[in-house]
Amino acid sequence: MHPENQKHDFEPKIIAFVCTWCTYAGADLAGTSRMQYPANVRVLKFPCTGRIDPVFILKAFQQGADGVLVSGCHPGDCHYIAGNYHARRRFAAFRKLLEFIGVDLGRLAFSWVSAAEGGKWVEVVTDLTEKVRAMGPMVEFKALALEEQWSGAIDTPELQEAYDAI
Amino acid sequence: MPLTSQPIDTSIYTTITAAIRSEASRLFTAGEVVAIIGYAAARRVGSAQPIIITNAADAEKLIFTHACVNNLAVYLTKAKKEIPKTGKIGVVVKGCDLKALVGLMGESQLKREDLYLIGIPCNGVLGSTVQPATALTTESIASKCCDCNSHLPTGCDFVPNVALPPGLQMESRYSVEIARLEALTPAERWAYWKEQFAKCIKCYACRQVCPFCFCEQCLCDRNKPQMVDTTPRPAGNTAWHIVRAMHLAGRCAGCAECERVCPMDIPLNLLNRKMAKELKELYDYEAGFEVNDKGPLTMFTEKDDQSFIK
Amino acid sequence: MSRIGVFICHCGENISRTVDVERVAQEVGRLPGVAFSTDYKYMCSDPGQTLVKKAIQEQKLSHVVVAACSPRMHEKTFRKAVEAAGLNPFLCEMANIREHCSWVHENREEATVKAIDIVGMMVERVKKNRILPTITVPVTKRALVIGGGIAGIQAALDIADCGHEVILVEREPSIGGHMAQLSETFPTLDCSQCIMTPKMVDVANHPKIKLYTYSEIELVEGYIGNFQVTIKKKARSVDEDKCTGCGVCMTKCPQKKIPNKFDQNIGMRTAIYVPFPQAVPNTPVIDRDNCTWFKTGKCGVCQKVCGPGAIDFEQQDTLIVEAVGAIVVSTGFDLYTIAEKPKGSPIKGYGEFGHGKIPDVIDGMTFERLASASGPTGGKILRPSDGKEPKQIVFIQCVGSRAREKGISYCSKVCCMYTAKHTMLYHHKVHDGQAYVFFMDARTPGKSYDEFWRRSIEEEEAVYIRGMVSRLYQKGDKIVVMGSDISVGVQVEIEADMVVLATAIQPQKGADALAQKLGISYDKYHFYSEAHAKLRPVECATAGIYLAGACQGPKDIPETVSQASAAAAKVMALFSRNQMEREPIVARVREAGCVGCFACKKVCAYGAVEEKEIRDRQGNLIKVVAYVNPGVCAGCGTCQATCPSKSVELDGYTDEQIIAMIEAL
Repeated sequence: MHPENQKHDFEPKIIAFVCTWCTYAGADLAGTSRMQYPANVRVLKFPCTGRIDPVFILKAFQQGADGVLVSGCHPGDCHYIAGNYHARRRFAAFRKLLEFIGVDLGRLAFSWVSAAEGGKWVEVVTDLTEKVRAMGPMVEFKALALEEQWSGAIDTPELQEAYDAI
Repeated sequence: MPLTSQPIDTSIYTTITAAIRSEASRLFTAGEVVAIIGYAAARRVGSAQPIIITNAADAEKLIFTHACVNNLAVYLTKAKKEIPKTGKIGVVVKGCDLKALVGLMGESQLKREDLYLIGIPCNGVLGSTVQPATALTTESIASKCCDCNSHLPTGCDFVPNVALPPGLQMESRYSVEIARLEALTPAERWAYWKEQFAKCIKCYACRQVCPFCFCEQCLCDRNKPQMVDTTPRPAGNTAWHIVRAMHLAGRCAGCAECERVCPMDIPLNLLNRKMAKELKELYDYEAGFEVNDKGPLTMFTEKDDQSFIK
Repeated sequence: MSRIGVFICHCGENISRTVDVERVAQEVGRLPGVAFSTDYKYMCSDPGQTLVKKAIQEQKLSHVVVAACSPRMHEKTFRKAVEAAGLNPFLCEMANIREHCSWVHENREEATVKAIDIVGMMVERVKKNRILPTITVPVTKRALVIGGGIAGIQAALDIADCGHEVILVEREPSIGGHMAQLSETFPTLDCSQCIMTPKMVDVANHPKIKLYTYSEIELVEGYIGNFQVTIKKKARSVDEDKCTGCGVCMTKCPQKKIPNKFDQNIGMRTAIYVPFPQAVPNTPVIDRDNCTWFKTGKCGVCQKVCGPGAIDFEQQDTLIVEAVGAIVVSTGFDLYTIAEKPKGSPIKGYGEFGHGKIPDVIDGMTFERLASASGPTGGKILRPSDGKEPKQIVFIQCVGSRAREKGISYCSKVCCMYTAKHTMLYHHKVHDGQAYVFFMDARTPGKSYDEFWRRSIEEEEAVYIRGMVSRLYQKGDKIVVMGSDISVGVQVEIEADMVVLATAIQPQKGADALAQKLGISYDKYHFYSEAHAKLRPVECATAGIYLAGACQGPKDIPETVSQASAAAAKVMALFSRNQMEREPIVARVREAGCVGCFACKKVCAYGAVEEKEIRDRQGNLIKVVAYVNPGVCAGCGTCQATCPSKSVELDGYTDEQIIAMIEAL
């Protein structure tokens, strides 16, 4: 039975940042091969993983993504010689930062999926979707976005009074 | 059980002050520099402030004390309005400040041949200058000085000839705090940083003082597109601090000026030290020791760790 | 304000079966900025494209989104159509609702919602698309051909005959490749050397072909029309200009017992050698690993007997840089190492067939050398072990090929035909002998191929047994072959004198390393990938690089020659213009924001970033900023992700476009 035929209480939003030469083509191959995977993923195409800015991941979480996938060519296979190597370092550092800030790294996946690996694309997307589904919604950034309060805690009666008077 | 506060010997700073004055005077007389960026006494007793002098007569104004906290590197990049445009510039640098200069050279912002470096053998400075007359102790010392590995700057043009008093063993406050946070759950860490970032008033003092925030147009000020929320609200603050830490990763050498100037006492250097620690572990890279052509995030090796990639 | 047109394709039923295309068109039509939205059965068809063009003109559309198949399939088609209607082609984007949606989801509601999202994202993206002018770059009208087998030779001759210079690089001391090793060729049984050697001589004599043998590709830089290729010319130890090819050195060389790779190691050669008598160039090479002079510092006989003084023991490897505009890759194939599992390879060996252990179990190429009139036996079929003529011979097909459990799932394509040929050659040479063939299927789809195959059975008396061999072992001087005949369901046991294995065709060793130098992609077997399996079978995804022959997949000679000529035609089309247009997806520097930290320069793999001085009117230096050479930039965008202030932007993938898509979620 396909996972997508089941009914779930929570359908996570998954954003995938992929390179056009390997992973996008791999996802195309999954389509041409009529493989099936959960419909939660939305794919953003980049020329190369080297183009993917950590800010995009941040932005995706802020925009309500529950999980983010970054995927490109295997090492040595980069269409642009070395873009994926640069990306590998960039994201090795960035995920450490997010982890330190308190983002659960279960929501952020990285993979190499080549143009020949339609099956791996399905596996990677399905795994992330199911994992994030089990984790529940990513509430942290959404909660922040809802907070209107100006910076600084209102922690004295005087401040509270002044605030109420506004 | 807190450690009892122990006094730190700053007696060499008097000798250093004399030495930099005579060197400054010599430099102007010999015409070797057109200006010197250093420290001078400020109005309050014990306090110090940056000064730019352009003649030998002003050499007497220069001092070095444990209140000389500023990283003067920032006057060589974006705060250089008052600095002469041509000619060699002298600059007084502590070991930690020198690391910033080294980084800036690697990023084509400065040229070594344009600078005359007056290095300071430093035994530590104050963590806070709110009360500048405070004596330097293992408690009042800046956190960055606790695990300083560059008391004696190397590669400078001039270093006063003094013997550094034997250093005191102090625990690395950053390492302890990083370890404490790392031991928490993601949710607990998020709660911690949420509280910290909630304090932010987006005054951008951290950006203003940082020698590496030298972009003329900060990504976080862009509105077309708006990459990072600019309002001083929790979402925007969090994004700003994440982007800031990421942009400094592999570049920041830990002068901790961001943390010192933050009016809301956000532990900003903690993020920077965490990133430095990770890059050291991942790529054995430490910023600020030599002028490198490439930093850890502008280079790669084929064998880089990819255990996190499926 | 944008006036976006959205065109939803049904793709017959490929999309509309799972995606409610009408609902997508309706919902997307309500998005701000969308002026027109519609659906149609086949958007890529002529009427479909006309629909797009008409709508652009009638509705005065400013941007177009076509929701259909993958942009890898039809982006060019629709951009061309949009251009024909007067819009800049880069104002058109495709939303992939087929490969990424209708084909991979079964639930109609979910697929429809996803399709609406995908189209919505592209609508937001296209609003930020800018007019991009086409970039023209000069074309160097010289071609590089890598590999001097029949594919490389054909491509080189075709290009050179059109008057363009060709650099032909061959790793071995002579051109000719595998075809030069073959005895006779199917389906006509003409002698391979007879049809091959004249072409080799043509290459040697062609005024437009520059031949580098015993040479390898060291480095490839640049891009279509403007490649810089560094070639390593290995030290031959023989001066090619002085050598007359008289061959005295070879007759006098005391090292005479070195297995000759060209003869599949059953024939011997000297330490100074040409691989075969008809070699081109006819200049010997000293095999330094086996030469007495290089091993002990003594001997030097060749130097003493060489009249023109061509022997040069001091010769060094040299690096040569050539500028070319196009590259044809024709590195050919290798045979499956069946004896054992190659190190680190997912492909398993056939230890049970005793190849490498039982001397009279040989592979097909070794049989070619035995059957070849110029081979080590002078064309007599003799057993390697004792030189006797085998009276019972067993051929086993599909060794390695089509064996998923062993790691290779593809068909090697030529084995059915060459095995049929082998049975004929055998029958012609050993009149009283009997040939048996174990086979799974006979695949003979080629002109006159099936007739040829039938002839081997009907006229040349080969016995075909449908089934696989389970085991074989040596028994005295016989090889016992055990297998099953599945057509009658009985076990078969044959006492053979010799066994020939039709081993799988694999890409050359090191094919992956060369691909990485060239920046082209390859499949899991390391066969090079074409840009499109059906419509662009000779081009690589990397512009300016073309494929010919078995390096792309198993092929027979006529197919290889056709593909080589096709690749040559592609090269000639490129060379027909003095400059070519290239996709304007390149990085541009916003000089106002650039502070010259040159992080972009550090990460650029193409060396496309230069330093540019900005001066005021008096000539005073204001600042140094980055400049991206649009001719060199390949458009990966690594610079932009690295730039802290985003002062360098990749056209076509700007932050604005990407943020717009993320915000559309």
